[in-house]
Amino acid sequence: MAIAKAERLMNLALCLLGTRRPLSKRELRQSIEAYLEAGSDDSFNRMFERDKDDLRELGLVIETVESLDGEVGYLARRDSNRLPPITLDAEEAAALGLAAKVWQQARLAGAASGALQKLRAAGLPEEVDPYEPHSALEPRIPVHEAAFEPLMLACRDRRPVVFDYRKANAAQPEARHVEPWALECWRGHWYLAGFDRDRGAERVFRLSRITGKVRSRGARFTAPVPDVVTVRETVASWAGETADRSALIRLRTGAGYPLRAKATSVRELGDGWDELEIPYGHGLDAWLVEFGPDVVVLEPAELRADVVDRLRAVAKG
Amino acid sequence: MAGKPVRPVNAIDQTRRMLSLVTYLRERPGARVEDVARAFGITEDELVSDLDVLPMCGTSFRGGDLLDIDTDGERIWWHNPAALGADAAEPLRLAADEATALLVAARAVATLPGLRESDRQALLRATAKVETAAGEAAGASARLSVTFESEGGVFADVDRAISERRRLWIRYYSPARDEVTEREIDPIRLVSVGHTYVEAWCRRSEARRTFRLDRVAEIRILDEPSAPPEVELRDLSEGLVQPAAEDPEVVVEVGPGGRWVAEYYPHDSADELPDGGLRITLRTPDPASLRRLALRLGRDGRIVSPPELADSARRAAREALAAYDGVEAAGTPRGPGESEHAHDRQERGL
Repeated sequence: MAIAKAERLMNLALCLLGTRRPLSKRELRQSIEAYLEAGSDDSFNRMFERDKDDLRELGLVIETVESLDGEVGYLARRDSNRLPPITLDAEEAAALGLAAKVWQQARLAGAASGALQKLRAAGLPEEVDPYEPHSALEPRIPVHEAAFEPLMLACRDRRPVVFDYRKANAAQPEARHVEPWALECWRGHWYLAGFDRDRGAERVFRLSRITGKVRSRGARFTAPVPDVVTVRETVASWAGETADRSALIRLRTGAGYPLRAKATSVRELGDGWDELEIPYGHGLDAWLVEFGPDVVVLEPAELRADVVDRLRAVAKG
Repeated sequence: MAGKPVRPVNAIDQTRRMLSLVTYLRERPGARVEDVARAFGITEDELVSDLDVLPMCGTSFRGGDLLDIDTDGERIWWHNPAALGADAAEPLRLAADEATALLVAARAVATLPGLRESDRQALLRATAKVETAAGEAAGASARLSVTFESEGGVFADVDRAISERRRLWIRYYSPARDEVTEREIDPIRLVSVGHTYVEAWCRRSEARRTFRLDRVAEIRILDEPSAPPEVELRDLSEGLVQPAAEDPEVVVEVGPGGRWVAEYYPHDSADELPDGGLRITLRTPDPASLRRLALRLGRDGRIVSPPELADSARRAAREALAAYDGVEAAGTPRGPGESEHAHDRQERGL
């Protein structure tokens, strides 16, 4: 029976951590049963390279050292792999436990558990079970977008990517070449900020509009990465939340609570209608139309015309 | 389900866990299987499968260097801890992904306005310590961020009502019928999935309901005790809106400008149309609530079925247009076909 990968990785990790001098590939092959059974040199070499990458992925710092006679050796030095001393009290342990389980994305959920386990091995207090909810609160970070993981890795490693992106009102997706900076989740949706190479400017992308695969480009970033990347402000302006004008509407008494909640002034007209002043940003026309006959736009004329236009389209059906 | 993190079986996660286990077990001869599984947030079966692998591991498979670890199912014994040098079993530094996963989540949770102050302080202290311990590995965590939306005051009241087991009175906005109704609810739990919701037993509809906190217009904690019936907590990882199979079907055809509908409404199918649009089939307990959608779409889409829904949108639009001709339509009752049944499942919309 083939030897399980976890067993092979564990053995490689223990060999590299346990040694005080660099071990050559030959020595490692002699010490690890799975490598002896690997068959050809080629398949052993491929397996060994992959395994080293996997161990680095889980945090092991593996050094490559060339000896005087030209032989390459590997070791994981204790001082570069040791967790610095960290002391957490029971309350802090419980709080981290709550945080560690919010991810609904397999890779990050695994990484968060792994972090907690390393802290546990380092003496994280056990009086409180961190997995037992101690509050009524159950925060969850949803990740439904397939593009999330490749983009997360590309942001981490600062690798340019290319993906097909369909704009909100476009029928066909278009290839976008992007230097990805940061991912942000807002109102349950994930967004990517980065440098759009074709447009030569910063752009924000919504992950759910990425179609097909995210592919990596080998090259490096060409544009500087800003210290602070602001995704939310851009998205808020799409959602019309950065209005700098206002509109005057009539609203039927009792209707349109969210419009009232946003209104800067409300005046009762007394005939079953109220008059409201509300911020006029992008998308207000579509929102007002939702309230059908309960809303009448008074000003500005441009908004009034947009709303009438939309209503006519629906009336014609 | 509830309480345990999502954790698929994969070799990297298992290796990471076994490396920590070795350090942990070294200090605790005769550790109980039950305690270790709890400390690591895994099931006893998962722990036992790790314990099956560990005896095959060591610094060499020759010469008796393998870890001699075994268990009788109750306790775990390591007979040759010297097989690993003292410094080969020290806790390992955090990987970039581990630091990112933990720190991003901790920062997000710390921003929840309703979090108890003592919990927030503990979380902030822990975050700072983990940042320091992670060192360089913490750097990449700035490239990921999450903001939970929630209404501070409402959140705090709901959280208090849950911990004190008291009933709540709320005025709640239902977008489906564009009205604010009063209800008494027995809160069960708070859930943050993008927006923050309270899952509760609604005394008015005698059913479980989910209320979005930013739609709570007013809230009061009542003196009556909260007594929600025993209900099985749903796994909300698939989303809060879970249409039932028996719900009526609605078919919407949208042009390219209406493709967002497929992003906001959970649906059964979305088929491409030749003009770049979509034909979307979805289910909802109350199709009349989708009149808003039909109105919003304008020329970007139309309701194909049920026909009553399409009619009601057309009538509403005509009635609205009348106001712009100078003919007031005041006093007209609400559109027909609006269900009286309470429901809060149609949670989407911009």
